[in-house]
Amino acid sequence: MTTQESPFDELDALQLWMQTVITHPAGVKAGVASKNANQIFDMREAEIERVIQPSETLSAIQRLEIYSNAYFARLSSCLLDEFPAFAYAVGDTAFQAFASEYLQTFPSNSYTLSALGRSFPSFLRATRPADLSFESLGPTWADFLIELATVERVYSEVFDGPGIEHERVADPQDFASLSVVQWLGARLTPAPCLRLVQLSYPVHEYITDVRRGRNPQTPAPSKTYLVITRRNYLVRRSAVGESEFGLLTALANGLTVGDGVAYVAQQNQSDIDALEFELSQWFRNWAEAGYFRQIVLAS
Amino acid sequence: MLRRGRLRRLNCLESPQSRSDYAYLGLGVGLRTVHFDYLLRHTPAVDWFEIISENFMDSEGRPRYVLDQIAERYPVVMHGVSLSIGSTAPLNFKYLRKLKTLADAVNARWVSDHVCWTGVAGRNTHDLLPIPMNEESLRHVVRRIQIVQDVLERRIVLENPSSYVTFAASTMPEWEFLSRMADDADCGLLLDINNVYVSSVNHGFHAETYIRSLPHHRIAQFHLAGHTNCGTHLIDTHDGPVIDPVWKLFQTAYKLTQNVSTLLEWDARVPEFPILHAEVLKSQRYIAGVCDGEANKTSETPKASYTHGDDVKLATTPHPAVFVAAEVE
Ligand SMILES: [Fe+2]
Repeated sequence: MTTQESPFDELDALQLWMQTVITHPAGVKAGVASKNANQIFDMREAEIERVIQPSETLSAIQRLEIYSNAYFARLSSCLLDEFPAFAYAVGDTAFQAFASEYLQTFPSNSYTLSALGRSFPSFLRATRPADLSFESLGPTWADFLIELATVERVYSEVFDGPGIEHERVADPQDFASLSVVQWLGARLTPAPCLRLVQLSYPVHEYITDVRRGRNPQTPAPSKTYLVITRRNYLVRRSAVGESEFGLLTALANGLTVGDGVAYVAQQNQSDIDALEFELSQWFRNWAEAGYFRQIVLAS
Repeated sequence: MLRRGRLRRLNCLESPQSRSDYAYLGLGVGLRTVHFDYLLRHTPAVDWFEIISENFMDSEGRPRYVLDQIAERYPVVMHGVSLSIGSTAPLNFKYLRKLKTLADAVNARWVSDHVCWTGVAGRNTHDLLPIPMNEESLRHVVRRIQIVQDVLERRIVLENPSSYVTFAASTMPEWEFLSRMADDADCGLLLDINNVYVSSVNHGFHAETYIRSLPHHRIAQFHLAGHTNCGTHLIDTHDGPVIDPVWKLFQTAYKLTQNVSTLLEWDARVPEFPILHAEVLKSQRYIAGVCDGEANKTSETPKASYTHGDDVKLATTPHPAVFVAAEVE
């Protein structure tokens, strides 16, 4: 084994060696032969019994393979639980390949499995195939997959993150009781569980279908403005129009109601009066949905 | 109350019954998300629940809400999978502080984890990896238990995991390691009877010797679970009922300890709650056998042996990780 003097170093080496071997993507034999493993214990496969003993029925390699198989099976099954619609879209074989690649790039470094999928959407973005020549044709299959993973991860974070279940949120009366001047100068504090996601596919419907055991077809691209939040501990999502989404985004970014409305009117090249009917409807809906925790009046 | 009634029935020997230093909670089951709705609606007469600590310590959503409801109605024990007490990586004090906060909040009767390591070099494999059983690792583990107990301000309880390899560097049997560890560090033991059985087959040791050799007063709790027979070895899959030889070992252990809290783990192919509960209640038969000195008829107990088949991949993942998936309207 090692020639270090301290026995603690030996335990240290043994653990690093075992982790290197059982997490090697090409399996235990490749792990034992790998440069990283050999830097720890300089030995060939034939000498492995110096570290791991065989049983009556299994060789040392086969015994280590139980841990190696379990490592990938366990963690890819957690990713499957978190990204079922993504997995359904790409199919079993491709999902296993994505999971294996992801686990090599972003191995877990947290005590909790809820952090395991955190970087999956950004991993997909970083490794998406270059399809520059088709860019002008609009969103692609790769965009669809990235959006699926993005929304599924948002669901996880909203589900278990901070919420408003124990808080009083701004209700329709709060909105109705303000004068126009107060109203235009007010800012709205978003609920901590509010997420606004702009998409090129209606992936929310596809995700719901997969979760309900249906077999959805890949949808046609369609600009989608998704508002995700949590009420009574359940994740809620609803698709809204571009203007409503624009105003929600402006308000969530800290603009006053007046500035937000002016911004949206300018974006739509419409006047504020034309928005008026919609505005009152939106604010009522937002209050009912609990998107905002409080109304902060200008001092 | 039904719960109290059964506890009394189980306390079938005259006091002082238990040789354990720990409170007797009765027959419990692991709290799993698929049962949340059922539990809130029916408040079944379960004696106690065990939670996977890591699934709740950061939760600000439904898991934590449900846990608070459960903790109001039932005794709760915390069972972790990421303490990594045997690792040579530094202890994670942020994690320990969160563990303590949760333990205080839910009035955890005790906090347990496993005699294992889960990763080094900044990584977590989320597996319960075995450590070599020798003097050096014993000293290392004991020192770390003492630090953890100082931070948590309570004795911790450590479980024997199932294992699939033995190290050339091991110099003592696992039961000797556990016994010395518990005595030297002054900690409790969670004796997983199924893991003893699984490891005894995988490593060719005598399961009863293992159980007889432990310091019984330090055993806070038993685990029972199903496993998978892969022909050449057994894997601790927590995916089915407890098999006869494990029940027999449980009976032996119970005879030695008396009135030790007992918990059933079921983590894959999780059945409806009443089936899960009925499985742990089967222990009453074996406990009654202890009290009455009767031999048990175990032939009705279903076998949980699967050979390589359709869903062998699912069936052979050891102690599957319990991931909490989002619930979407
Ligand atoms: Fe266990």
